[in-house]
Amino acid sequence: MLLDHYDTEGLFDEMFADNGAVRPHYQMMRERLDTLSKEELDQKIRNLETLFLKQGITFTVYGDQQGTERVFPFDPIPRIIPADEWQVIEDGLVQRITALNLFLYDVYHEQKILKDKIIPEEVVLSAAHYRPEFKDVDVPRDIYIHICGTDLIRDRDGSYLVLEDNGRCPSGVSYVLENRMAMKRVFPQLFGSAGVRSVDSYASDLLGTLQFIAPHAKPDPVCVLLTPGHYNSAYFEHSFLARQMGIEIVEGRDLIVVGAHVYMRTTRGLQQVDVIYRRLDDDFLDPKVFRPDSMLGVPGLVSAVQAGNVALANAIGTGVADDKVTYAYVEKMIKYYLDQDPILKQVPTFLAWDEKDRSYILDHLPELVVKAANESGGYGMLIGPKASKEEVEKFRGLILANPRNYIAQPVVYFSRHPTLTDGTVEGRHVDLRPFVLSGERTHILPGGLTRVALKKGSIVVNSSQGGGSKDTWVLHQS
Amino acid sequence: MLSRVADNLYWMARFMERAENLARLLQASNELLLDGETMGSRSLNDYWDPVLIATAMEDQFAQLYPQGTVADVGFFMTLHEGNPDAITMCLRQARENARTVRDQISDEMWTELNDLYLFITAPHTLKLFQMSPQSVYDRIISGSLLFHGITDATLARTEGWQFIQLGKYLERADKTSRFLDIRVHSAQTGNALDSFQWTCILRSASAFGTYRAEFGGEPVAEGVIDLLMFSIDFPRSVRYCIRRLDGHLHAISGTPAGTYGNTAERVSGRLLAQLNFGCSSEVLARGLQDYTDDVQTILNDIGQHIFETYVLLPQDQLSVTFIPSADTQQRRWVELQQQQQQQQQQQQQQ
Repeated sequence: MLLDHYDTEGLFDEMFADNGAVRPHYQMMRERLDTLSKEELDQKIRNLETLFLKQGITFTVYGDQQGTERVFPFDPIPRIIPADEWQVIEDGLVQRITALNLFLYDVYHEQKILKDKIIPEEVVLSAAHYRPEFKDVDVPRDIYIHICGTDLIRDRDGSYLVLEDNGRCPSGVSYVLENRMAMKRVFPQLFGSAGVRSVDSYASDLLGTLQFIAPHAKPDPVCVLLTPGHYNSAYFEHSFLARQMGIEIVEGRDLIVVGAHVYMRTTRGLQQVDVIYRRLDDDFLDPKVFRPDSMLGVPGLVSAVQAGNVALANAIGTGVADDKVTYAYVEKMIKYYLDQDPILKQVPTFLAWDEKDRSYILDHLPELVVKAANESGGYGMLIGPKASKEEVEKFRGLILANPRNYIAQPVVYFSRHPTLTDGTVEGRHVDLRPFVLSGERTHILPGGLTRVALKKGSIVVNSSQGGGSKDTWVLHQS
Repeated sequence: MLSRVADNLYWMARFMERAENLARLLQASNELLLDGETMGSRSLNDYWDPVLIATAMEDQFAQLYPQGTVADVGFFMTLHEGNPDAITMCLRQARENARTVRDQISDEMWTELNDLYLFITAPHTLKLFQMSPQSVYDRIISGSLLFHGITDATLARTEGWQFIQLGKYLERADKTSRFLDIRVHSAQTGNALDSFQWTCILRSASAFGTYRAEFGGEPVAEGVIDLLMFSIDFPRSVRYCIRRLDGHLHAISGTPAGTYGNTAERVSGRLLAQLNFGCSSEVLARGLQDYTDDVQTILNDIGQHIFETYVLLPQDQLSVTFIPSADTQQRRWVELQQQQQQQQQQQQQQ
């Protein structure tokens, strides 16, 4: 049987305890897997891949002029989280997003946390994504991050750690919904008996969040999704979400600003837009204010936002909160704004701009993971223990040239999960990206994107670098 | 609906219809040429040259095949990626347009169109084409028919549907008139090639059976023109297409039939009147080529006026237009757009 020779190799495994016994919430899955042969499972996968390809559930590979489309690799063995564990995650995420939104409000208003020297002023003001244009500008309902995708990993003892907060334009939620649809085809019998929580309400919760932030609490606001366009790697997701919410998907050229109001160009003339769910970085939003060569943005959009005539989700300038240097201070933020202890711990972080930390980093480069403060997607990263001498030296130079832009963390241990590989089932490292919506209340989608590093031993889970995904089952019961 | 979306739906339908019509023409030609094996290369050239001219691909062909022979024409018009008008490129454009407006079309429409595209670009399709081009054309034609049928069966009759119909009928009218034109450039009336070519044109429009039923005997110019240009009920005749086009234009604007509210409606209404009261003897007296050229110019005008009325709003402050064209500046613009769209890495590297 598939799992007979499975070896946890002493690492924290989602399905098996250290003594090799299957964890109780995986019992049912184990029994089901035991009835399947490798061939049957392979066949199921092939059917699914054909289905994904036919439906165009693909992402575009960067740096490829042909715009090659690939199916996001999908692993059919689901990740299962029991109710009590999920409760901790949910409480922790609500706490964290609340603090982050309070922090953003503060940073763009009185800056109390800086004046009280909880966070050094220069950290915030030097962040690449800090937007002085929005100092003292109010945003509807004082919410800045409406959609957040927080990456979690599990420590060696199994406790969940926050690896990073994605508070700008997090993506991947469409794969959560599509993976679920796929799993219902692979294991239809299991769903009923396992008691898996549904992820169906995401689109309506998202729409509710967008409507909630309409300027002047306008009833029945016109919401749109702003996409970079169909060459973007996440275009499938943009169009999927727009369709699910029943709102228009627009490109920058479809919008026009007249008298500090935003309109979309329709066959019947101009129609006013109230809320924009933008999947476009700040830099590209408005060529009049940010990158002047942006062809994807809307000239004048920033003036319309500043005038309070249109709301953006997420707000402009949230990047200062998910900056990797700011990350080091989030636990202090929680204490400062909420007077609570953080429910979810995070990874110890050394800051290269701090002289003491820097010399530690430079002395221990081969043991550390170094990350650029503002990069995402697994780019601009050094994994010390796996890097060559040249790579280490290259990063030493980069850090010295621009210390503000780098942080370092000890190597963290992603938990492993049984994953279908060529010929057998082996442990592969996984992380978890739950999705948080902040509107009238905070919704945590009961599920999330479990990304899996398909290469043996690798901890890089990004799809552009050989990652795949799994469905994530949150159970009604513990 | 968004102007750009209307434009995308319109072009999706046009490119799909264009692919289907090219497949029809090539399929009918291949079938008939099998019967005409005794024809010398001179006659074959006589046959293919006008086909290349009617589809406006003669320059491209000369460029890609300086020593081109008739044997190359089929591949060139079907699968050659260097030929921007090849069937495979039409399907790519149809799919690109559809991909941009996925949220506006039904899942089934997308799946069929995507499936057809995956078929035409699959490596084994090239092998299949070398062995049996007819089966490739079969798949394209049935794929397009299925696509239009699915559209009819699954899409609400909203404005988007109307724009799809505009694209479909405008392209179909254009192709039918162009195929009629194929005759004009070739050998004079009276030889064997003549009846042979009329048959081919009828077959490419699925009109051979209808012709026999209505006129009987071997096809002759008058009958073919009456059927393909002026028939009131044959769904591929130019008149039928323009009647539908005119109806959809009025459905979009809400202007009563017989009147006009914009230039596109005025031009299409005038063309419809010309077709309603025209006949083959009038065409032959004037010259078929002259007549079809004129029709094609008017069809182009209608397309341009649709664009100006619904896509390019008067308030437009942008310096760019969205007409697909070979113009280099436009191409550069598209490239830059593409680059920036891809640069948007955000936090979306799943």
